[in-house]
Amino acid sequence: MPATDRAQDRAMSRPRLGVVKFASCDGCQLTLLDLEDELLPITDRVEIVEFAEATSARSSGPYDLLLVEGSISTPEQAHEIVELRRQTAKLVTIGACATAGGIQALRNVADHDAWRAAIYPEPAWIESLATATPIADHVTVDAELRGCPIAPGQLKEFLVASLVGRRPQLPDEAVCMECKRAGRVCVVVASGEACLGPVTRTGCGALCPAYARGCYACFGPRESANVAGLRQGFVAASLLTEAEVDERFAGFTAMAPAFAPSASAAALSYREGAVVRPSTDKAARPEVDDARR
Amino acid sequence: MHGGEGHAAGGTATVERDFDITQLTRVEGEGRLRLRLREGRVVEARLNIFEAPRYFEQLVVGRRPDDVLDIVARICGICPVAYQMSAVHAFESAFGVEIDPVVRSLRRLLYCGEWIESHALHVTLLHAPDYLGVESGIALAAIDRPAVERGLALKKTGNQIVALLGGRPIHPVSVKVGGFSRAPRVVELETLKVALDAAVKQSLEIVDWVAGFETPACHEPARLVALRHASDYPMNEGRIVSTDKRIDIANTDWSTTFEERQVEGTNALQSHTRDGQPYQVGPSARITLARDQLHPLAGAALEKTGLADEIRVNPFRSIVARAIELVHAAAEARDIVAGYRPPDAASVPFDPRAGSASWATEAPRGLLFHDYRLDERGRVSWARIVPPTSQNQAAIEAALIGYAPRVLDLPDDEARVRIEQLVRAYDPCISCATHFLDVTVEREP
Amino acid sequence: MTTARPTALPASLSPASHPDPDSLEPAFLERADLAALVVALRDDGRAVIGPTVRDGAVILDEITSVDELPVGVRETQAPGHYRLGDGRPDRIFDFTVGPMSPKGWTFPARVPIGTARRTPDGATFSAATPDARPLAFLGVRACELAALDVQDRVLLRGPVADHDYDARRRSALIVSVECTTAATTCFCTSMGTGPEVRDGADLVLTETTAGFVVRTGSERGRDLLARLPVRPATDLERDEAAGGVAEARAAVSANAGVATTGLPGRLGAALDHPRWAEVAERCLTCGNCTLVCPTCFCTSVEQVSDLEGTETTTNRAWASCFSAEFAAVAGGTFRSRPQDRYRQWLTHKFSTWVDQFGTSGCVGCGRCVTWCPVGIDVREELAAIAPPPRQALPVLPIAPSPVPDDAWLRAARVLDSRRETDDVVTMTVAWNDAPRPRPGQFVMIGLPGYPAAPISVSRVHDAAIELTIRAAGPATTALTRLGPGEEVGRRGPLGRGWPVERMVGRDIVIVAGGIGLAPLRPLIDSIAADRLQFGAVRIFLGARTPRDRLFTAELAAWTEAGLLVDETVDRAGADWLGRVGVVTHLFDHSERIPEGTIAAVCGPERMMEATADVLRSRGLTDDRILVTLERHMDCGVGLCGHCQLGRFFVCRDGPVFSLAELGDAFGREGR
Repeated sequence: MPATDRAQDRAMSRPRLGVVKFASCDGCQLTLLDLEDELLPITDRVEIVEFAEATSARSSGPYDLLLVEGSISTPEQAHEIVELRRQTAKLVTIGACATAGGIQALRNVADHDAWRAAIYPEPAWIESLATATPIADHVTVDAELRGCPIAPGQLKEFLVASLVGRRPQLPDEAVCMECKRAGRVCVVVASGEACLGPVTRTGCGALCPAYARGCYACFGPRESANVAGLRQGFVAASLLTEAEVDERFAGFTAMAPAFAPSASAAALSYREGAVVRPSTDKAARPEVDDARR
Repeated sequence: MHGGEGHAAGGTATVERDFDITQLTRVEGEGRLRLRLREGRVVEARLNIFEAPRYFEQLVVGRRPDDVLDIVARICGICPVAYQMSAVHAFESAFGVEIDPVVRSLRRLLYCGEWIESHALHVTLLHAPDYLGVESGIALAAIDRPAVERGLALKKTGNQIVALLGGRPIHPVSVKVGGFSRAPRVVELETLKVALDAAVKQSLEIVDWVAGFETPACHEPARLVALRHASDYPMNEGRIVSTDKRIDIANTDWSTTFEERQVEGTNALQSHTRDGQPYQVGPSARITLARDQLHPLAGAALEKTGLADEIRVNPFRSIVARAIELVHAAAEARDIVAGYRPPDAASVPFDPRAGSASWATEAPRGLLFHDYRLDERGRVSWARIVPPTSQNQAAIEAALIGYAPRVLDLPDDEARVRIEQLVRAYDPCISCATHFLDVTVEREP
Repeated sequence: MTTARPTALPASLSPASHPDPDSLEPAFLERADLAALVVALRDDGRAVIGPTVRDGAVILDEITSVDELPVGVRETQAPGHYRLGDGRPDRIFDFTVGPMSPKGWTFPARVPIGTARRTPDGATFSAATPDARPLAFLGVRACELAALDVQDRVLLRGPVADHDYDARRRSALIVSVECTTAATTCFCTSMGTGPEVRDGADLVLTETTAGFVVRTGSERGRDLLARLPVRPATDLERDEAAGGVAEARAAVSANAGVATTGLPGRLGAALDHPRWAEVAERCLTCGNCTLVCPTCFCTSVEQVSDLEGTETTTNRAWASCFSAEFAAVAGGTFRSRPQDRYRQWLTHKFSTWVDQFGTSGCVGCGRCVTWCPVGIDVREELAAIAPPPRQALPVLPIAPSPVPDDAWLRAARVLDSRRETDDVVTMTVAWNDAPRPRPGQFVMIGLPGYPAAPISVSRVHDAAIELTIRAAGPATTALTRLGPGEEVGRRGPLGRGWPVERMVGRDIVIVAGGIGLAPLRPLIDSIAADRLQFGAVRIFLGARTPRDRLFTAELAAWTEAGLLVDETVDRAGADWLGRVGVVTHLFDHSERIPEGTIAAVCGPERMMEATADVLRSRGLTDDRILVTLERHMDCGVGLCGHCQLGRFFVCRDGPVFSLAELGDAFGREGR
């Protein structure tokens, strides 16, 4: 292909970008708006055809690139994501909810019937909301950006790489790597903080150790995440008990497969401490309770 | 996903009109507005939520207080600091923790950052397009790029403040019971100085910009509720007071005066005063109730607009209130940075104990109340969180009922734009509001 | 980023000459006068990098005044454990080594190495200029000096020198401190690196009750000493200093250590030890050990592009062999199992490093022990895996190829591009002002926005080369899409090719699988061009399907030149009349292979292993079976570390190897 044709190729019509959300906090799509310096140049390069948080202009696809935030929590959403997939060339999940179910996925692991009956007078009411699941459980996902929230630098790198046509650099290595490159002191070794960095995927810039606390795994497991080894290490060093290790995993990527066994154990133990409906609550919400009955 | 449209039912205008805005845009989260008018009267005004609930009040059960701070931040990606602030002060009050005065000012600085980030986003990218007849901030950039760039620059400064204190602008990581996990070094805070000087200037320009917007006439006075503190513009402390002076309670005692209830015809829980009246929280309420405590630069800017009285009664002027608070937050942040000396310790130790922990702070959108029961290990056994949007919901619907008849003569599209603009004037955060609903969502077929 | 080998070593690396008998040395500096040293270094315009307490550790950072140094601080170290505590009052250097080392400044975690820009008619490539701020290190311990020497060997004294490291290292003045305390994790005495400071420092301090006994190690140091408020040290002071260091030596010697005698050979013989799997259950493969190590030098490249993709900066960042991506090539990673990664690290550090650089990669500082979050202690692992001593295994010599080198990529124009198969393209690139590639050599080819990729040369012309490229990922896909007139960045030729001169007069078997024919084609060209110099030549070609066959138009010419060509495909369609089956089946149809035959094999690693087994069964010895290997390569000149395989860097020492050279490294999972 002659060089001139290629130049025209590159200047081809702007890709159509959509941003949609399911059950989530909006923080990941906000990250796009948080690329303050790049936002307007990006909108010069892509056509934003769907982004309810930012624009009233609406479109129903097709999308060249669709950023999907949030987990699937209702049958309607499960239906909708299939329809969106059909209209989308490249579907990218953004954030812990979309890639791992988010913290709300913890509800998936308890004994649902008991759990709902204990909390709700009308368990049937929340029938459709029994689980929160990642997008990849429902449709094929072309790429994922991890994190709770996603990292602005990774979002930018992803968009740039997509526009340039190269493979985005989203390293699958431990948080420790970026922590040590940044010259930070290991909080496990020097302060006895339980840090999940060794089993967590990098991308955040190793923020928590920089703020003198342990990583809480909001980017989810890295490849070869050795959860059993970390547990053994923390217990052997008397940093945490086994149960406390489980609790650390019951966070924003709790239901990622590598973390789910630990997180599930913790989620079940939390339920035991619940005061289901304190009497003062009834007083505070008389009409709500009436309505429920 | 959802197309929004208004349509006239029955073919003839003005007999019965049904505005069904199936997905509200330029708000945080997924909501729906349904407004039915018959014979020039509003027969139904419903702000529906179809955001899927995420059960945060259950998710915090069994957790340590410091874990709760991380979890409640995830209720909202736009105002995570607000959730952390209400929660951390609730726990500290329950455990009898006295925080270092420097930590107190750093928390105000953190809140300033979030106010700036949230208000700059809302004013420039979400709300201003309504006044200027465009569909989005991106479309606005096509006609007034400098205005959008100014808003983005200001928003960036807000984000920088939060990121400096907490590692990242969304879901920062450093707030803990007793203080912060790490306090900044002087040289780090000094990196904000140039941006804050610019932020003060930018926010003053924004005040001039939005005060000049052509604004729909509207007189919908509501009972305004906000915190009021003895010496400072309300953020983390103060008593809950109202414009009609009938409310003056400790910020731990929200439940004595307010309640959440289910109202027929809507799926959302709404807050009212216990005597069943709607009320309004947010920037307009704060400015009206604590005007004398605004930073002098913000006070002067408000004076210059001459709109203080109108802010109280016209919801469409809330954009000016937000702009004034941008000036306040930028100016106060600049003062805190200038006077900063690191605390002796970033945090003080505490002993967890059983009891109840409640506190209200001022989120960008208004009063945010947290209420927890703690077991003997200091872990949460029950929780209730009342975000500003659920408190404003009744006020929004009341304002719609009052205002909607005035747009009856407009073509559908224009009428719909005005109605949405009014809803946006409250900066509703549906993500926040929904995440506390104990109820499931009933979808329209 | 590399430059030609420096002609002279930095002054601080030269052996110390004997001090002038009239000099002050050893001198004595009162503790209160240490400030004068910091002032003098700063007055020279140097950034002083010294110890200071932060985040619960003694770290290194730029210090602007002596007040920032620790006072009366000593730490406790144990596997996975570090805590600050009280040391002797007033002492400034009463600790040992913290998590950081001078490596963070001489070989920073992330530096730019070059920029590529798209221009209207092609591309430009420019190398980055190293940050030239002169440094002074204050408080460098003996083990850290040894580590600097190790990195000098790797990054300066090999066939290619690292430009950025060279600039930073040359600028650095070193004020060393001899240890008078020891942590339980220290094992410098095992590794022969400390606690006494020998060579490599400009100034050496030994702390005593009242101050510092000072001696110099270079001209630069003597100049500096002359500017300090010192007096000659008394015998008492000298004795106290020596006594302090002797106490440290005694303490370190009492610690667990490493039995170094014969260790490289013992480790090399323990590649199948069950302990590797056992340690992998504990090891988190987090990479902390490699990044706190003062000698680990592996890096990866990163691209930072602008939104338009017109300008891309390439950074070099610390990498670790504990990440799966480190050994990744299109289609997978060579080290998917954690046990392979741990073995890779430990055997490189303590065994093959010696083959490569003439020294152990370990200096006994103990950082990998302390800063392992789960406290894995290399001393224990080595004792279990390679217990002392047996007889060392013989080591084969390596003859690395001479590596002519550009600082970085240079632009070259694409002259032609033609499609070979659905996903393979042969591109002709102008080749001027560079050595003519020899058969089997490769080049690094980059485009703005993409990492450079190693590509075999598939034909050599007078002023051009051909590159046969399979679209295996975005970067190679972009290359296959280039048209005539466009520009690429190129570097090379690189590596050691086929030993054509060794093949003269011999029978030759050439076995190619798929794209593996590309690096063999120049060899075939050489043989065909000088046919009478060689014996019988058989070429066995395998492809996945008939559509994947390469260079089909040339096969007849090869036959005409007197080469026997035999083909097979894994899966055939109806229109294929030739043989079907894997390439090794061609040997079933072939006559016996004469004694003395040399085999040249290239293809997927599994195919090469199977071919090697067949060739061995036909009587070929390992020194006559030559293979060319594919590995992850970021630099192409033996500096980034990704392609390290046993005692080799595949890029620099290969990619062509005999199986005898590779030994255990060939066909072993996870190497």
